[in-house]
Amino acid sequence: MTPPDALAPAPFATADPFARPNHAPPHSPGRGPVATVRKYFKIFRASLVERMAYRGDFLFGTLLRFLPLITTILLWQAIFKGVPGGRMSGFNFREMIAYLLLTNISRMFSSMPGLAGGVAKEIREGTLKRYMIQPVDLIGYLLSYRAAHKVAYIVTSFIPYAILFTVCRGYFDGFPDASTLAVYVISLILSFLVGFFFETCVGMVGFWFLEVTSLLYIVMTLNFFVSGHMLPLDLLPHPWVDILKWLPFQYMAYFPAVVFLGKVQGPDLHFHLALATFWAVFFMALARGLYRLGLKRYSAYGG
Amino acid sequence: MTHGLNRYLRLLGHLARYTLNRELAFRGNFLVKVSVEVLWLCILTAFYRVVFGRTTLVAGWNEDQYFFFVGCFFALNGLIETFFLENCSDFAELVRTGDLDFLLLRPIDEQFLISCRRIDWGTGPNVIMGAAVMAISLSRIGWHFDPVLLVAFLVTFVCGVVIAYSFMLMLTALSVWMVRNQSLMEMWWLFTSLARYPKEIFTGTWAAPLGRFFTFFVPILLVVNIPSRIAVKTLEPGMVAFTLFATVALFWVSRRFFKRALRSYRSASS
Repeated sequence: MTPPDALAPAPFATADPFARPNHAPPHSPGRGPVATVRKYFKIFRASLVERMAYRGDFLFGTLLRFLPLITTILLWQAIFKGVPGGRMSGFNFREMIAYLLLTNISRMFSSMPGLAGGVAKEIREGTLKRYMIQPVDLIGYLLSYRAAHKVAYIVTSFIPYAILFTVCRGYFDGFPDASTLAVYVISLILSFLVGFFFETCVGMVGFWFLEVTSLLYIVMTLNFFVSGHMLPLDLLPHPWVDILKWLPFQYMAYFPAVVFLGKVQGPDLHFHLALATFWAVFFMALARGLYRLGLKRYSAYGG
Repeated sequence: MTHGLNRYLRLLGHLARYTLNRELAFRGNFLVKVSVEVLWLCILTAFYRVVFGRTTLVAGWNEDQYFFFVGCFFALNGLIETFFLENCSDFAELVRTGDLDFLLLRPIDEQFLISCRRIDWGTGPNVIMGAAVMAISLSRIGWHFDPVLLVAFLVTFVCGVVIAYSFMLMLTALSVWMVRNQSLMEMWWLFTSLARYPKEIFTGTWAAPLGRFFTFFVPILLVVNIPSRIAVKTLEPGMVAFTLFATVALFWVSRRFFKRALRSYRSASS
C-alpha cells in the first residue's frame, strides 16, 4: 500500500479566482531526527489503518488461532491423568505445556517461510544472474534480509505473544536466572542460523531440480516431528532419542525450549551449544559449496 | 428431482475424470503429495504410540479405540480435502479478482460449481489409509460384525462429512465480506483442531461448557466423535438423532448463508 504522501507539495488553491494566491513555498521533506520520527510515524499510522481496515479478518483469525492451543492443553491434561506419577521423561503437565509454548518461540526464530522456494525461484527464473554481475553475495544478502524480517516479525508479534504468555503464566515457574536467559538467547540465535542455512541448502537443490517445493513439503513435515515441535524428544524411545539428539533439527524447536526450562545444564549444555554451532557452520559451508557447484552448471533459464 | 440429481452426478463424474487426468499428467507431483500424507499419518501414529507407551487410557479411550478415532478423522478429513477444500480455498481469490462472475453465469447451481469444481486426488488415498487404520483397530479390538452398528456408523460418518462441509462452506462464504481473507486452508486447519480429539478431553471448570457449546451449538465435535463412538464404544440413539438433526439444520443454514453471501457479492464489472 502506498503510504499517504505527506511529503508531496501541497496543491495550490485554484477554485476561487478572487482568493489570495498562496505564496507559501511547497512543503519539503525536513531533515533531522524530528522529521524522521514524523515520517515513520505516518507510515506506522497508515499501516495500522490498513491493518484495522481488515479488523474482521484479524479478529476472526486471532480467535481461530487460540483453538489449537486450547485443544493441545486439554489433550495433554487428559494424557497426564493416566500417567503414573504424573511425569513423563522428566516433564510434568505444566512443564509440557510450557515446553510446547516455548517451541513456538523457537520456531519463530528458526522457520524461514519462502526462503528455499525463493532461492529455487531465482534459479528457475534466471534472476540469479544479478548476483553474478553485482557486488552482492546471494547468501549474504538473504541472511541480512531474513535477519531484518525476523526482527520486524518479532517486534510486531511481541504484544500478541506477551498476552499469550501472560494468560498462560501459570504453566511457568517465572523467568529463569540471568545466565540461563543469556544462554537461551544464544540458543535462539543458533536456532535462527541453523534454520536459515539448512533451508538455504534445500533451496540450492534448485540448481539440479529447478522445483524444490515437493522436497520442501516432505522435509518440513518430517521436521515438525524430529525438531521436537510436536512433543519433547525425551519422550521418544531409544535409540531414536539418541539419534535425534545428534542431528541439527532439535536446535530449531526442542533445544531452546529445554534450555529455558533449565532441563539442560552443565557439560550437556556446553556440548549442545558446541554441536549447534557445528551444525550452523556445517550448513553454511554446505550452502556455499552447493552454490559454487550449482553456478558451474547454471544456465540462466528464464529472465 | 431424480433427473436433476442424475445430471449433477454425471457432471461430478466428468469433473472427477478431468481432474484425475490432469493430476496424472504430473505423476511426480502426485506421488509427492501422497508421500507427504503417508508421512503425516506415520508421524501421527508415532506420536500416539509414544503417548500410549506411557499410559493406557487417554480421555477414556484405550489405544485401539483411539487409533480408530484417528483413522476415522484421517478418512473424513481426506474426503473433505479431496472434494471441497481446494475449491473453497479458491473462492476468496475468485471474489477478489471478480472471476466469480464467470461461475455465476453458468446454468448450474452455484454452490455445487464453487465447492465441487475440482477434485484433489492427491488427498484421495487418505480415505483408504484412514479406512485401513480403522480396520486394523477393529481387528485388534476383536470387533464382531454387527449390521446395525455398521449402518449407524456409515450414516453418522456421512453426517460428519456433511457437517464438516457445512462449516467449511460458511467459512468460505465469509470471503465475500472479509475480502482479504487469510488462507482458508489455515483457517480450516485451526477450526478442525476441535474435531481431531475425543470430546471427553473437554472436562473441567471452563472446558466442560466449551465442550457442550461445540457439541450442541457449533456441533463440530459431532463430526468424528459420534461415528467413532458407535463403532468402538457405544451406540447412543439420542446422540445419533441429534447428529441427524444437526446435519440437516447445518446444511440448510450453510446453504442459506452462502446464498446470502452471493447476493452481497459485488461483481468486478462496472
